[in-house]
Amino acid sequence: MKVGKSMLALSLVVALCGCWDNTDINHRVLPVVMGVSKKDSEYKIFLQIPEPIQNRTLIKIVTGSGSTINHAVDKISANLEDHVDLLHVKLILLDKKYAQSGVDDSIADFMRGRDVSPKTLVSICDEDMEQFFIKVKTKMEPKGTTLYDFFEKNAGWNPQIALTRVWEVYRSIHSYTRDVAIPVIHSGTSTVVQHEGSGVIKNGKMVAQIDSDETLLFNAFNGESTQGKIEVMDHASVLITSNSIRHKGTMLDGKPYLKSKIKLKVVIQETKGHPTSDEIKKEIEVMLKTRFDQMFVKLQASGADILGTGQYFRNIIPRTQLKDWRTKYYPKLKLDFQVQATIENTGFTNLQ
Amino acid sequence: MESYMKEIERRLGGNDDFFILPDHMGGIPYVMMGFVTLIDLTRTKIALRKNRESLSETISDLTELMAVFGDIREFDLEETVTMIMGGKLILLFGGQRRYVVVDPIPIELSRAVESPTNENVLQGSMSSFNEDIDTNIGIVRKQSISKHVRVKTFLTGSEQLKKISLLYDNCHVEPDLVDKIIKQIESSSDNDINNLQNLSKTMGFSSWSIIPKFYTTELPQEAANALKKGKVILFVDRLPFALILPNLLWDMFSLDNDRNFPLPIMYAIRILRVIGVLTTLLAPGLYVALVAVNPEVLRIELALTIAQSREGVPYPAIVEIIFMLIILELIIEASTRLPKSIGPTITMVGGIILGQAVVTARLVSNLLIIVLAATTIANSTVVGFQNSLSIRLFKYLLVILCSIYGVLGLLAGLVILSAYLASINTFGISYLNFNMKKGETENG
Repeated sequence: MKVGKSMLALSLVVALCGCWDNTDINHRVLPVVMGVSKKDSEYKIFLQIPEPIQNRTLIKIVTGSGSTINHAVDKISANLEDHVDLLHVKLILLDKKYAQSGVDDSIADFMRGRDVSPKTLVSICDEDMEQFFIKVKTKMEPKGTTLYDFFEKNAGWNPQIALTRVWEVYRSIHSYTRDVAIPVIHSGTSTVVQHEGSGVIKNGKMVAQIDSDETLLFNAFNGESTQGKIEVMDHASVLITSNSIRHKGTMLDGKPYLKSKIKLKVVIQETKGHPTSDEIKKEIEVMLKTRFDQMFVKLQASGADILGTGQYFRNIIPRTQLKDWRTKYYPKLKLDFQVQATIENTGFTNLQ
Repeated sequence: MESYMKEIERRLGGNDDFFILPDHMGGIPYVMMGFVTLIDLTRTKIALRKNRESLSETISDLTELMAVFGDIREFDLEETVTMIMGGKLILLFGGQRRYVVVDPIPIELSRAVESPTNENVLQGSMSSFNEDIDTNIGIVRKQSISKHVRVKTFLTGSEQLKKISLLYDNCHVEPDLVDKIIKQIESSSDNDINNLQNLSKTMGFSSWSIIPKFYTTELPQEAANALKKGKVILFVDRLPFALILPNLLWDMFSLDNDRNFPLPIMYAIRILRVIGVLTTLLAPGLYVALVAVNPEVLRIELALTIAQSREGVPYPAIVEIIFMLIILELIIEASTRLPKSIGPTITMVGGIILGQAVVTARLVSNLLIIVLAATTIANSTVVGFQNSLSIRLFKYLLVILCSIYGVLGLLAGLVILSAYLASINTFGISYLNFNMKKGETENG
């Protein structure tokens, strides 16, 4: 009886597992980049598939269109010799026009479908997508993962590039107090891609754009490391070696007031003329503050809270009123941004 | 006496190596009986004479003379035959209803104490146990000079008598454990013991246990250490190793000889063994899981490389890996069967030619060869050959589960494995127990 039961259990394991549906890795195509554009309510999907052939990687760009993203992918899969496995997609490239018209449906589908990992990076392409892939393909031929490496922290990422993942975009669509910035790229002339700044996304719609210097401040504001970024000023250029930021949110007369203090550690790289270290310090503090204030005015006008300032008022504003953050409180927000720079190393030549 | 001799002859006379030799000493005639193949007759005779001569000439009493030669016993046919089979020399004197059992000079049938053949020792004591049970007990006594070491000897078997000895350290062992073992051996003392399966049965263990219940070792140092840790040792005559009870999980990773190295190095070596076991268990399963079921876990660069290395491989990963694993097992089995002089040839044919050819023929992928090589090498880091056998078997469970459920299957397999290990106990002591010291077993 015992033997019979265990035999039954074993045969059920074999019969019910569905392991015959597993496809070996060499029978899957693993797209690295997925481009999504939309024209007249029809999606057009671009898949960039690296194909390793004898010590070399060929790059295949496959396109397909359909009434939904899945429909389009399914069409591509039907026409390809292997099974399309979207789990390896590392970068989703959204057409700028599509981003401006709203991508919340696609993002929700990605989250729901689980075909695409929620960790996948999202980026906006400021160019006709077909052109973009044609140009990019010719430039990155020997290595299939160039586009992805561009955003990889241990490879080509720089602190002025925003890193936003599918789940973050999804969160921003549903959050009362936080929006996201998505990097905007187009094909470069000498390099594969060129970074243009970041698109400001509010509730899944691109409403404004900030440049890469501003994105650096955006990253710093969110506590990301800006280490390695070089700031050029009138009298010197400095390298940021570390940064930290502290926020304190209070309500003054019913108006939100946020005090943010950023501490930078910098190393002097080059000087013009003979500035003293205090002058350089002053210069960098003023420059960053001005830049931040300009950016913040722009953001406030767009109504998108990509800095996540609302997060610091979540314990002050009651939940019932929190949903009005973007409309009622955010435009009135006063942000006191302070920069405190420390020059850590002046190099071999001493400054006064 | 004549009829008694006839009766013995009737029992044993069919053997050509059985001798009945009339002899006399100082005018007293007697008959010697025994096996030429067990007794060095010439030297025994000389010894007997010397024995006699060393005494004064005036012994006239027969009983006194008999006592000089050896043990005097009353006639008992069964006992006499057993004695003769056990290699004793029997002297029968005319007109007596008693006989003398002489401890003769035996023909040397055991090998000398040699270095271990199944286990390797680095910088440690090199002597190992051999087939002779008394030698083995002697070696342990020499290794662990302690007044607390106790030896209990049992004779078991109905057809073939076999000597079993139980050694324990009175001071460290849990008395309950010794009682249970003694009771168990005594209750099934008519079982014939020729191998470990017989012994397991005698000890009342399930014959289907994959993990060996005995920790077998050839090294006296290990055995002495086991005594100190409160374990017991069983010796079976003609089995050239000590059987340590109970076998615990940690024995798979630790050798007492490790303590001949500095402490940090000892820990490093033991961690290495744990890694070895995990590699053996996980690597093949992980390969199947990552290649066939969950390639999304891999980094894209690795995924592409693996995809390329598998390009043109006709079979699914599970078939591929089972195929290669079985070939590897065949190589291992073949090299244990073969004489030492041919062994290296097999290794070369198996390792180099087959491995290279199978990749060139695109039957399996390059990566699989690497995984299998790592697995096989890692498998040998385990202490004790018996343990490495069970690990070798367990990896198939993981491979099959991985082929069905992927990485989740790997986890499930490990859970099943842990549950199985947790279910094993020897005389109430769990296999996962770490400490065997007296009074601490319940807390394990």
